[in-house]
Amino acid sequence: MTTTPPVLQVRDLSVEIAERQVLQGVSLDVQPASLVVLMGANGSGKSTLGMALAGHPQYRVSAGQALLAGQDLLQLPAHERARAGFFLSFQSPPDIPGVKNNLFIRTALNAVREAGGQEPLDAFDFLANAKQGAKELGMPAAMLARPVNEGFSGGERKRNELLQLNLLKPRVALLDEIDSGLDVDGVRAVVELVQRLRAQGTAFIVVSHYLQMIESLQPDQVLRLDRGRIAESGGLELARSIAETGFARAQV
Amino acid sequence: MSHHADIASDIVQDIPQAREQLQAKGWIARKNEAFHHLPPPPLEQWLPAQEPAFTHAPDWQVSIQQGADSVQVQHLSALQAQERQALFAGLAAPAGDAAPFAWAHRALCRQGLRLHIAATTNGSPVRLHVEQLAQQAVAAPLLVLELAAGAHCQLLHTAGRAADLERITHNLHLHIRLGAGAKLQHLRVADARPQDQLAQVQRVELAEQARYHQALCSSGSAYQLQRTEVLLQGAGAEIRHAGLLLTGAQQIDQQVLVQHNAPDTHSHVQVLALGSGQGRSVGNSYAYIAPGAHDANVHQRLWGIALEGQPRMTLRPHLEILHDQVQASHGATWGALPADALFYAQQRGLDSATARRLIIEGMARALLERALPAADDAPGDAPEDASDLLQTWLDSGWLSQAIAGQLGAANAGEGA
Repeated sequence: MTTTPPVLQVRDLSVEIAERQVLQGVSLDVQPASLVVLMGANGSGKSTLGMALAGHPQYRVSAGQALLAGQDLLQLPAHERARAGFFLSFQSPPDIPGVKNNLFIRTALNAVREAGGQEPLDAFDFLANAKQGAKELGMPAAMLARPVNEGFSGGERKRNELLQLNLLKPRVALLDEIDSGLDVDGVRAVVELVQRLRAQGTAFIVVSHYLQMIESLQPDQVLRLDRGRIAESGGLELARSIAETGFARAQV
Repeated sequence: MSHHADIASDIVQDIPQAREQLQAKGWIARKNEAFHHLPPPPLEQWLPAQEPAFTHAPDWQVSIQQGADSVQVQHLSALQAQERQALFAGLAAPAGDAAPFAWAHRALCRQGLRLHIAATTNGSPVRLHVEQLAQQAVAAPLLVLELAAGAHCQLLHTAGRAADLERITHNLHLHIRLGAGAKLQHLRVADARPQDQLAQVQRVELAEQARYHQALCSSGSAYQLQRTEVLLQGAGAEIRHAGLLLTGAQQIDQQVLVQHNAPDTHSHVQVLALGSGQGRSVGNSYAYIAPGAHDANVHQRLWGIALEGQPRMTLRPHLEILHDQVQASHGATWGALPADALFYAQQRGLDSATARRLIIEGMARALLERALPAADDAPGDAPEDASDLLQTWLDSGWLSQAIAGQLGAANAGEGA
């Protein structure tokens, strides 16, 4: 019998921010096309995991390892981690004034494509794909011509993250509270997109407190993070238990 | 028409008079507050003791894309009394902080361009491109532009030079008058070279309901003054100005002075300075609201961004308000590129250099679009599409190349 190696292996990862230890020896394996839900109280280190894996310069890895498809992720600069196939959906995606969304996404997409040995997309082909993707997400095509996230509502920013996820088709995507700010149609769009990308092989780590969405996503594993450590691991029943009892009781 | 008089036969009297004024009153004093941060080179640089040789080659080139019937173009000699009188007709006498530059200009000016633009019969804007062609190393060019009541104009204003001129010292003066209800969109590109010494002094007068929207893009040089004096003389007049100072490791001193002399007047001034190395940027935005200028609205916003090294940036928004019922906001921000946007772009796969270029160019475009938006009644503080005038120029690639050049130089500085 052969087993598929995990696409993402995190081993004993410890991370500091401004000399404060936030993650303490986190380990997890993510199989291709699988979905892991990460839950935890505020400040437990969920976003820190995403930022550290993405290579944010303020998050210092003090120990541990992270392999993406066998490649040492932590040795790569942030853009090469993205090109290697790691996507982080930001909890609060920032504005980039004056840079049209379609130009930004096309430049990013072509950087990733070229790094993978693919031909860059011309503006015409890109726009056709982007418009189709936007339509599927309930995002007006006009938002492609607006500056990145500038003047976008919370929900529009999240849809814009999903559009980039859809076009970039990473190996592993960490969605940090993707549901916050989204209406019910938006949450449905998340579920549909995740299902579609999983079918194509993308693995997900989803940070969420929203049980209904978690149930719809049909996770393979649910992890509870507590004070920088994986405190519990389970299936949907763990998410239901946390939703019912809360983190405070779970920590007792 | 174009005339160039024989110098020997027709020396005009106010040239020696201008020199006498300079001798009597002196050059820009060290204590002059407006020039305190970036003192200009001495008078001898702007007005050599030995007169530069006269050239007949015109120093302005005008091409009219639309509305030619409404445009009157006059290339006038400043060395022939009658033409000089016509060239300087109606221009204010030198006064104020920058008066020595104006006297030096009058003493050296040899020719100039006067444009008069009338309203078109169908109301569509006149579109024209004016290129200032440097023919001599030291010169004092002059442009006078008048828009009649109700006239609309989109003006692209660029600079070129004779092939053999590597370094110029130019004291350019622009005088712009807008009649009632006139609208001028003015895109001015000061494409300086590192060793240039430039003084570009612009005076704009607006009658009631006139609108003047200007975007200025300037690359740094050994010395550079960009001074804009605006007189909002009529009720409802509006100035919107965006100054993009690509200072790099050079110098630029931008001074924008607006006088609100009538009710319900609006001024919206934004400046973005990009510096590197030991560059020196000064952004001075001053607004004066006269007694009786009720409902005046003033907005001043200045940004300075260090690309690398330790560039010095002095950003000074200031207001002098002599009326109670006004709205005013001002602020200045210094710093580096927004770290969150940089990381975001890198997380999407863009390398650091591409991310920086994209973000800086975006900031520059956003600034220019707020001054020259597609809809000229746009509020000026929200994202806009660019006007045709601006978009066409952006498509030419000048801005992208200038920013890439600055970043290339900055990266080289970092690596040194």
